[in-house]
Amino acid sequence: MVILPSLLMNLMKRWFDLLSRKINFYLLEYALKYILRDKYKNFFIFTIMTLLVTLLASTLLLSNLLKLEYNKFIDTYPDIIVMQQKAGKDVTVNEKIVDDLLNINGVSMAVGRIYGEYKFEKAESIFHLVGIDEFEESQNKFIEGLKKQNSLDKDSMLVSKDVATLLKKNYYENYFNFIKSDGTFKKVFIAKSFPTKDSLQNSQLILMPKETLREIFGFQVEEVSDIALKVTNKEEIAFIATKIESEFINAKVIVQEDIRHFYEHIYNYRSGFFLVIFIISFFTFFIIIYDKMSGLNSTQKKEIGVLKALGWRVEDVLNARLYEGIIISISAYFFGIFLAYIYVFTLKAPLLKEIFLNNYNLIYDYKMEFYIDYNVLAILFFLSVPIYIIATIVPSWRVATLDADEVMR
Amino acid sequence: MIELKNISKLYENNVIALQEIDLQFKEGELIILKGVSGSGKSTILSLISGILKPTEGEVIVDGKKISKLVDHFSANYRRKNIGFIFQRYNLIPDLTVEENILLPLIPENLSKKQLQNYLESALSSLGIRDKRESRVKNLSGGEQQRVAIARANVNNPKIILADEPTANLDAKLSLEFIEIIREMKKENRTIIIATHDPLFFDLEFSDRVVEIEDGRVVLCS
Repeated sequence: MVILPSLLMNLMKRWFDLLSRKINFYLLEYALKYILRDKYKNFFIFTIMTLLVTLLASTLLLSNLLKLEYNKFIDTYPDIIVMQQKAGKDVTVNEKIVDDLLNINGVSMAVGRIYGEYKFEKAESIFHLVGIDEFEESQNKFIEGLKKQNSLDKDSMLVSKDVATLLKKNYYENYFNFIKSDGTFKKVFIAKSFPTKDSLQNSQLILMPKETLREIFGFQVEEVSDIALKVTNKEEIAFIATKIESEFINAKVIVQEDIRHFYEHIYNYRSGFFLVIFIISFFTFFIIIYDKMSGLNSTQKKEIGVLKALGWRVEDVLNARLYEGIIISISAYFFGIFLAYIYVFTLKAPLLKEIFLNNYNLIYDYKMEFYIDYNVLAILFFLSVPIYIIATIVPSWRVATLDADEVMR
Repeated sequence: MIELKNISKLYENNVIALQEIDLQFKEGELIILKGVSGSGKSTILSLISGILKPTEGEVIVDGKKISKLVDHFSANYRRKNIGFIFQRYNLIPDLTVEENILLPLIPENLSKKQLQNYLESALSSLGIRDKRESRVKNLSGGEQQRVAIARANVNNPKIILADEPTANLDAKLSLEFIEIIREMKKENRTIIIATHDPLFFDLEFSDRVVEIEDGRVVLCS
């Protein structure tokens, strides 16, 4: 047992010895000095590469984080939502049709839901109000969990911690006065606040009894926002949706997949904005690459000729350029990634987050959990480092393979 | 022993640099290659160093056919056997004296101690030891010349090739250079100097003067 660690240590020591013999540190030093000789140009390249990596990494990290969040959020949606339209406009649904919907083969549950957005003008923020009934099952596991843990009296509500904090800031510590549809106030007491586990959607959530919410929204008895259906066999969702549309006049049927597409559409639209920035950044980067690929100046060519005349092999010249490329591109890559992580996870992506989340009010402190996205790291690495290294080596290789005499002349 | 056997060199633009040259240089000899600009002197140096390959003929150094070596081995041969002093020194201006001198040894990946030993030996008697940390671009012409000599000498080469070494020096510095060459000759190195500077033509310690004209040997004294 004692032999194994010492054997491992020995092996590691030998490996490091071998590695240090393989790396020519004098060549590395020469490469570093070569970079410093053209320090302004190389610093410019380093800055552009770092900015490019930071911008791309920040956007990809944030967008992947939000995609994950959207998917989590969409998964809480019912299989089918039935809404009502009049003259192409969404209106409330009469809860009486629940029994008819339950008669359709394959529908295992149908529940009338009351929910909606409420704008709190003073704080310029939006609350997501959801009505609950202790005798009805919700397909949203988070809401169902809260319902089981808490029983609500009439005129009381459960609010997320973020909402509670916001209300407190606006001097509503124990209650909130909702403005009803007829302009009068409805006082609702805060029964409890709940943590949202960094969920973007739930951070705006307020739960209250259905009848209280009905009063705030000015709904009549049996009037609901929509009806949520649960389908036993998920393969039948599309078929059932079509059937409802044909049987119920003016019904607007939405399946979970439609919602996913809707969010992806909004998300892609915003990504398009960044696509423009990416293109501009890549354009700048490729101008640099083109400049490097287009060849060396006469001093650089002459230097290669002199080095060859002094006994440098082609591989020595190329190794020096390889080190040069590695020093600039790897350091720009890691520095860019480091800045992106600081920007997204420490500074919480100011500006960028506002563009991606503009339908969520940003007074909510959405805490982005730190994670390492290996795909993003790999994509950015292969988009930047090898391209730059190749662009550094190729022109030198062209010159180094010529006769030193020809180069010096 | 350096042998040039029936050497001809035609450049890509069809310029004839050398025609049917036969020359032999013995170990420890100091040879002056004399001739006007464009006569082919520099081409002979490039052929001996393996930088150029002849169009016809062979270059043999100590029995090895240098002209047949592929680039990789020709570089190794040059690094181990040749010290080159260029007309315009060909130093890297932004590097220090020390860094310039050690350039030929970088591919060897030697230990720091070995490098220091080589450096000390190359710097000795050249009077630039106090300038070793200075950037070459801040040195005078004479000092730059000494750095170029030290660089040519750092790998203890058997053969020193100098191409118009005094072309950019005044008379005083040219004489100093000749003194350095005299010291080098005492170390039994083969020294070949391509020049049109008359200072070299009557050197009492030179072994031979070879005159080149239009790519041919016209005089070998």
